[in-house]
Amino acid sequence: MFSTFLRHQWTGFWRSRNKGATIAAQVIMGLFAVYLIGVCFLVGFILEDLIDKFMPGKDIFLVFNGMILYYFSIDFIVRLQIQELPTLAITPYLHLNIPKRKLVNFLHVRSLISVINVFPLIIFFPFCFRNIAPEYGNFACGMYLLAIFSLVMFNNYGALYFKRISAENIRVVLPAIVLLALVAGLEYLKIFSIAAFSDRVFSFIAVHPGAGFLFPTLALAIFLLNDSYLKNNLYIEDLTAGEERKSSTDYPFLNRFGAAGTLAALEIKLILRNKRPHATVTKGLILLFYGFLFYKQDLILTNQFGKMLFPAVFMTGNTILIYGQFMFGWQAAEFDGMLANQVSIRDFFRAKFILLGISASLLTALTSFYGFLSWKILAVHLASCIYNIGVSTVIVLYFATRNYKYIDISKGAKFNWEGISASTMLLSLPVLLSPFIIYLPLSLIGPYWGLAGITIFGLAGMATRSYWTGFLVREFNKRKHKIAEGFRERS
Amino acid sequence: MIIEINKLKKIYAGITVVDIEQLTINNGETVGVIGNNGAGKTTLFRMLLDLIRPDAGEILSKGHNVADSDQWKKYTASYLDEGFLIDYLTPEEYFIFIGSLHQMGVTEVMHFLRTYEEFFNGEILERGKYIRDFSKGNQNKVGITAALMQQPELLVLDEPFANLDPTTQIRLKTHLKLLKSPGLTTLISSHDLNHVTDVCDRIILFEKGRVIKDFYTNENTLEELEAYFSQ
Repeated sequence: MFSTFLRHQWTGFWRSRNKGATIAAQVIMGLFAVYLIGVCFLVGFILEDLIDKFMPGKDIFLVFNGMILYYFSIDFIVRLQIQELPTLAITPYLHLNIPKRKLVNFLHVRSLISVINVFPLIIFFPFCFRNIAPEYGNFACGMYLLAIFSLVMFNNYGALYFKRISAENIRVVLPAIVLLALVAGLEYLKIFSIAAFSDRVFSFIAVHPGAGFLFPTLALAIFLLNDSYLKNNLYIEDLTAGEERKSSTDYPFLNRFGAAGTLAALEIKLILRNKRPHATVTKGLILLFYGFLFYKQDLILTNQFGKMLFPAVFMTGNTILIYGQFMFGWQAAEFDGMLANQVSIRDFFRAKFILLGISASLLTALTSFYGFLSWKILAVHLASCIYNIGVSTVIVLYFATRNYKYIDISKGAKFNWEGISASTMLLSLPVLLSPFIIYLPLSLIGPYWGLAGITIFGLAGMATRSYWTGFLVREFNKRKHKIAEGFRERS
Repeated sequence: MIIEINKLKKIYAGITVVDIEQLTINNGETVGVIGNNGAGKTTLFRMLLDLIRPDAGEILSKGHNVADSDQWKKYTASYLDEGFLIDYLTPEEYFIFIGSLHQMGVTEVMHFLRTYEEFFNGEILERGKYIRDFSKGNQNKVGITAALMQQPELLVLDEPFANLDPTTQIRLKTHLKLLKSPGLTTLISSHDLNHVTDVCDRIILFEKGRVIKDFYTNENTLEELEAYFSQ
């Protein structure tokens, strides 16, 4: 049965409609994983020397012992971020003559197949063999191995368990965050140190190896907890999110834009009520801190706006770029209805301009906190914002008329490659590069001239918007059947 | 004559799925389009709504090719499948949106919906759910009602009886009969021979994309159709 499940997953992967992008992404991820494994091997075998080099004079066992729990704490947080719940895939098997036990077991085993479970073994095991065994004896070494292996299991099932209960009840997340912040705070204030705690635990095991059996016990406990939770909740309704009363909403400020405003309001609801677009747009808020990497004091002092242009265009236009790259795939599910109904395509595009314009303005307002560094940044942001609204929107919407990929907006955004195609990848190039083409020659006269040039292009784009809308409508009409057909093909 | 189809052809992967030499639909007719799976009913409807491009031929709606102008959208309402619904809206929001496309205000929409309370059977309005959380039958109700609300001259419904509970099927049937008027032309595809012969004045039978039979209904129609399908 195991092999059948695995084979189904394997064929499912190869036959998914989005194969190209998924495979490309998997290959890149695979290479990255191989690289990381290589690094881990290296680290594992020269850990002794590394500790010696970076912390000379310190007892290597003390550092090693301190590292273990520290590593697994970070490991746990990383897992919460990236480890996927292998739950939904079993829905088609629930009604068949397959014992529940087998399905649960499959989920358990399936979750183990992940590189993240391999890293710690490669990093820590060589040191145990090479240093712990000769120093403390084989029994202690064996207990170290067992403890580390158990921690991997503990983290694997612990993270999944936490994700499962938090998917069902979002309220558990808050105390978890508080706890995390508390531990981090204590660590920062040097009141409580994970490393010191870890050292104490493992030093004890080194001397009294029998105590190491605590770890497999803990791992087994969390495994059984996870197991009983899964067994009791293996119902379709439990695998999906909980119910709460939904209400109708209205955005009166958009009403003055007429039919286009109605469509823009519709898309705002799309973003707020669906997982993937919601996550995509929220990601944009995190990217607002991007500027801190770029805005260095000497750049600001010497007016090197060219080097500040990239983060400025990216931050003020990140929804245009990241949300816009999948257009009109967000609406793939109802696209047929849009075409068959009396929706004017001109209004459809005007709605996109309104939406993208609002988002760029909001982001620019939010990034105004960089003004505390220098008012010059505000000037760069304003120029970029105007450019994004005037020019980037047109570029993005043009590429959107060449995007035929359906996306399931109810799925999460993390590691989700659905809808990515050559055109979605290509589109960021002209958006991010074109401002430089305008800025560079003009900046020879003066950096402010460069900014003015960008602003003028943006304003010109806005002034000639009705021409561009007409152009986009023509392009759209040329390919609308192909777009609709692509959206009807779901994986 | 509201619809005129000439030499229409659609080919998928080498297989002809629609092949209609000539077909006209007159004003005020209620036409049942029937045929087994793969007969080309949905493909025909999609071409009629300019959702897919024919490989050859044309569909004229009131004399204009549907692929060339959007004129037909003003008087055509349709519901083919859930792809026509906006599933992250509540039914109320969806009706108001569709209403706004036809210059209907919120009060007008609500007034219209009140006349459909019986059809909804208390399961659609004020349920605090998005359309995606409704059952397929109830989603169908939303789609069909939204189409009717547009007060169209041409109504296109793809398997409207599917997924509906028996009570609603009968209510829908009665309602469709009630709506019959010289100003409304209706195209209905269905697998339910009983309903379709009951509601429609004319039946067009498709097989592998071709029109096999095209006749006006009488008391023997049902038997004839049953005979054909049990071959």
